[in-house]
Amino acid sequence: MSQVNRLSRGGRIDRSQPLTFTFNGETYQGYAGDTLAAALLANGVDVIGRSFKYSRPRGIVAAGAEEPNAVLQIGSREETQIPNVRATQQALYSGLVAASTNGWPSVNNDLMGILGKVGGKMMPPGFYYKTFMYPSSLWMTYEKYIRKAAGLGRAPLENDPDIYDHINQHCDVLVIGAGPAGLAAALAAGRSGARVILADEQEEFGGSLLDTRETLDGKPAAEWVAKVVAELKTLPEVTLLPRATVNGYHDHNFLTIHERRTDHLGETAPLGAFSAPQARHRVHRVRAGRVVLAAGAHERPLVYANNDVPGNMLAGAVSTYVRRYGVAPGKKLVLATNNDYAYRTALDWLDAGLQVVAVADARSNPRGSWVEEVRSRGVRVLTGSSVIDVRGGKRVEAARVAAIDPVAMKVTSPGEWLDCDLVASSGGYSPVVHLASHLGGRPEWREDILAFVPGEGNGLQKRIDAGAVNGVFKLGDVIANGFEAGVKAAAETGFKATAGDLPRTEKRVEEAAIALFQVPHEKPTARAPKQFVDLQNDVTAAGIELATREGFESVEHVKRYTALGFGTDQGKLGNINGLAIAARSMGISIPQMGTTMFRPNYTPVTFGAVAGRHCGHLFEPKRYTAMQAWHVANGAEFEDVGQWKRPWYFPKKGEDLHAAVARECLAVRNSVGILDASTLGKIDIQGPDAREFLNRVYTNAWTKLDVGKARYGLMCKEDGMVFDDGVTACLADNHFLMTTTTGGAARVLQWLELYHQTEWPELKVYFTSVTDHWATMTLSGPNSRKLLAEVTDIDLDKDGFPFMTWKEGNVAGVPARVFRISFTGELSYEVNVQADYALGVWEKLIEAGKKYDLTPYGTETMHVLRAEKGFIIVGQDTDASVTPDDLNMGWCVGRTKPFSWIGWRGMNREDCLREDRKQLVGLKPIDPLKVLPEGAQLVFDPKQSIPMTMVGHVTSSYMSATMGHSFAMAVVKGGLKRMGERVFAPLADGSVIEAEIVSSVFYDPKGERQNV
Amino acid sequence: MTAVNVYKQRPDKIEGQSPLHHAGLAELVGKGKSGAGVHLREKKLLGHLTLRGDAKDPAFAGGVHKALGVELPVALTLVANGSLSLQWLAPDEWLLIVPRGEEFATEKRLREALGNELHYAVVNVSGGQTLLELSGPKVREMLMKSTSYDVHPSNFPVGKAVGTHFAKTQLVIRHTAEETWELVVRRSFADYIWLWLQDASAEFGLAIEA
Repeated sequence: MSQVNRLSRGGRIDRSQPLTFTFNGETYQGYAGDTLAAALLANGVDVIGRSFKYSRPRGIVAAGAEEPNAVLQIGSREETQIPNVRATQQALYSGLVAASTNGWPSVNNDLMGILGKVGGKMMPPGFYYKTFMYPSSLWMTYEKYIRKAAGLGRAPLENDPDIYDHINQHCDVLVIGAGPAGLAAALAAGRSGARVILADEQEEFGGSLLDTRETLDGKPAAEWVAKVVAELKTLPEVTLLPRATVNGYHDHNFLTIHERRTDHLGETAPLGAFSAPQARHRVHRVRAGRVVLAAGAHERPLVYANNDVPGNMLAGAVSTYVRRYGVAPGKKLVLATNNDYAYRTALDWLDAGLQVVAVADARSNPRGSWVEEVRSRGVRVLTGSSVIDVRGGKRVEAARVAAIDPVAMKVTSPGEWLDCDLVASSGGYSPVVHLASHLGGRPEWREDILAFVPGEGNGLQKRIDAGAVNGVFKLGDVIANGFEAGVKAAAETGFKATAGDLPRTEKRVEEAAIALFQVPHEKPTARAPKQFVDLQNDVTAAGIELATREGFESVEHVKRYTALGFGTDQGKLGNINGLAIAARSMGISIPQMGTTMFRPNYTPVTFGAVAGRHCGHLFEPKRYTAMQAWHVANGAEFEDVGQWKRPWYFPKKGEDLHAAVARECLAVRNSVGILDASTLGKIDIQGPDAREFLNRVYTNAWTKLDVGKARYGLMCKEDGMVFDDGVTACLADNHFLMTTTTGGAARVLQWLELYHQTEWPELKVYFTSVTDHWATMTLSGPNSRKLLAEVTDIDLDKDGFPFMTWKEGNVAGVPARVFRISFTGELSYEVNVQADYALGVWEKLIEAGKKYDLTPYGTETMHVLRAEKGFIIVGQDTDASVTPDDLNMGWCVGRTKPFSWIGWRGMNREDCLREDRKQLVGLKPIDPLKVLPEGAQLVFDPKQSIPMTMVGHVTSSYMSATMGHSFAMAVVKGGLKRMGERVFAPLADGSVIEAEIVSSVFYDPKGERQNV
Repeated sequence: MTAVNVYKQRPDKIEGQSPLHHAGLAELVGKGKSGAGVHLREKKLLGHLTLRGDAKDPAFAGGVHKALGVELPVALTLVANGSLSLQWLAPDEWLLIVPRGEEFATEKRLREALGNELHYAVVNVSGGQTLLELSGPKVREMLMKSTSYDVHPSNFPVGKAVGTHFAKTQLVIRHTAEETWELVVRRSFADYIWLWLQDASAEFGLAIEA
């Protein structure tokens, strides 16, 4: 198919590089330098999709981020599908495959279109509110219908083959937008030596200068652009980011830029240097000293009847397609405007050798330079008039132009139908205030330019506005304004900018616009043909009026009621018109109406870019102990404990979890097992006040712990609730080694530092984490002494090295500290060596242990063994609402310590002293083969009707291979006084497990096995 | 028994395994890309000591100088004396790195110089961390992909050292020469950092040095 709308010359495209692409299955050709939208227009593709609600045919309207209709699905393969790509922002590449996201089953012959009016009635304004709110149970049904019908793009079902990444940037000046203002600002700031980032969302820098008919220094403006870009490239501290949209302006001048690095090259990123994958998109996380906001302005369309028929476009977009891409999206143009600037479109159209049927200007007597130029070239200029209606199905066929009174909202002449195939409209220019408003700064209305400009805001943004976004529109003023902003930004960040020559611009007379948003029609809005405000969401002027009539007076309510400003374009095209209509409907001014909130992101961002490299094997750090390689080689299954990977159990061939755990448990009880306990937190404590500090952070007393001994301790928060536990050993008078839970290691160290630094700085003590320095392996079981004796020079005599003491000496030739502490209830030795030497020691223990059937065991066996002994796991048997007394661990509370300690006051509150609090007890299921589910709620009366009175829950529950029956730990109201009573666990499947309340110490209650 | 337990923890004759032992870095030497922008070397099994004390106390500062031959570095800096380096970590905390096996003698020398009256702490953390040296023209850019700290020379000159975020964890970054940086990495996070560095360096070319 030929490029029917391609002009024979002009544009910034490369005609020597034709590119083939497909749209909805048809093959087309465009040129390098085209956007997908330009190429589609060049090929005369009028209908790009169907509308959201009414399923009306829609075509390309704009040339930038504000495009509401050409929102396409890109990708030739399932894994490369990209939804919601604005065709106006997608560079054409060879082989590009695009499809409509809307239009089911096809855009040109749409079943929904035939049913369009029905669809519209099914979905009146307020559909979101009225239907989706009630009944909520039907939401899933509605959603399927809406999604299918609305066809907002779809996510791929297969893994994305590309990678995405993040980079952190710091700069003195971030310039947003590389149009005339941004380029000038970057130049001024860059020359000062400041670190400058210039980011622009388009394929190349220049903004409006890439399609303007105005000259700079008497030459095409693009030449000035090239000169400035060339100079910026020579400045070492200037970073240039084309294809990079500044999408979010966050607190503390932190901004996020979404750079599309390879989207112009193909649907997947080609390999880069060193044959490495290139990131398809990169998010730049920027801290900027100052931001120069030079985001420009979006043109507003006029709201007239049937303004959505393909062939209705923004005036500026028509100029862009003609001058930048060499594409004429039609032959016969009718231009509707309320301002001078739009006249350039008529001149550009004439220059391309095409016909301007008429210009309808709402002003009564426009006399600006361009207006006169258009008149002088023989174009019919109808003043005090506008396009009020359009005829056509899949393409504009004629426009009706009539005299209007925009204040009285009346049509004042019968008007006439003008044959044409393109209606370009301009209702003025809306500064792109989005980023300036992301932190809550409200835009301010300026009546002189009929537009919102960025407000002073709340002082959260260190931002200087320049150019059109600042309400400055004349090219010479824009460049000067940009240059000043760059100078100011550099100065405010400590750099001295040098003076520079600004390019000479053309002089021309320009007159003010008049306010015109919705164009009047003979019929009242509700009865007139549809006048679209938000094309993407099918919001009409009538719908907005209906919203205000129904009492939705806040602009935010109007938005939710009508869907105005939802979707991928977030109201870039329609919002100002919409709120102007709402304001008029309510008889208030536009500033009284105000804008809706602007939120990041400015344009849609792919999830891949949000995730960056934090996915797959880099999703989360995995922490390993020094013995990890052995665990892997010996078939361990792993459990996540915080970020640690801990061996969960070591299955032998054919064993499942239960079989392996039963075997491991019996091995420990009957002979000896070995556990990698390296992940336990370890804190070295030194200082003359170390002992006193321990007295204050632990619940129990530490004054009398001798050198060489170890003691179990509980830690509470101020409220008296247990938050960590562990064994602390006295290494020397002023030197202790504290152990914490695996998950609590960092938390406890911070806790100690917090109290030391803020409450007791006078205590002479230092804390240092040695968790990673020491690797810990625990030998546990009746044969552990015999085994250890074979590889150590430490005297293991039970009287010389009793329970709860520690010794130094060599183990397998490596200096070690060995602690006789036990979490299994068996005779145990915890061997600690410098982690660099741990694997060798572990392997020697394994070797020496063969004759004792030494069995490596994991966390699951550890949990069972400790539970048989009634030892708690903080965080499993406790939940921050449990005091030491609730755990029946009052023996671990130093009630007579002279200095108060953390938690003492809290645990003595009246509520904490109640006797019917939930207390930790053991549960013995009546059926010894039934294992209570952990978390199961408990009741005293299983026959009570729902809602039942819940009296506690199961915290730990296992099958004990040692005891031959199931058992559990649970918290039960007043449980400690209910020994022998029954509780019931009604389960979700209707069954009930009955259990007897017993002591939480099931095995060896006197501790004879560990103390030998 | 003395007030603090000082214990020689490293065996004399047994070869240790650094936190990146499993990565087999030695086997990767010479197999990297030519023209690589990032070169990585593990300075493994060194002696690492954490030093705590009151920098404002002349007795402490003087004792450190006497034992080590360097002054206590000020905030966010690093000083070196031959194969020994001393780095500020926090207002009362420094990281001392010495050659392998010298940590025990260094700790004894420090304790001797600082005496029995002063309150301070020396803790051997050698097994808990390792040092990765990164060099090459693209290291700074690779670091920008990894940490939100500003690594531009105007903010991060040679001689500066900071503890900061790195990917999804934290570590210490030391700028030791114009194109040379060091990372102090905790043992248990070393594998994650190694995976991250390989990934972040891929576009610049990565070469492993002996």
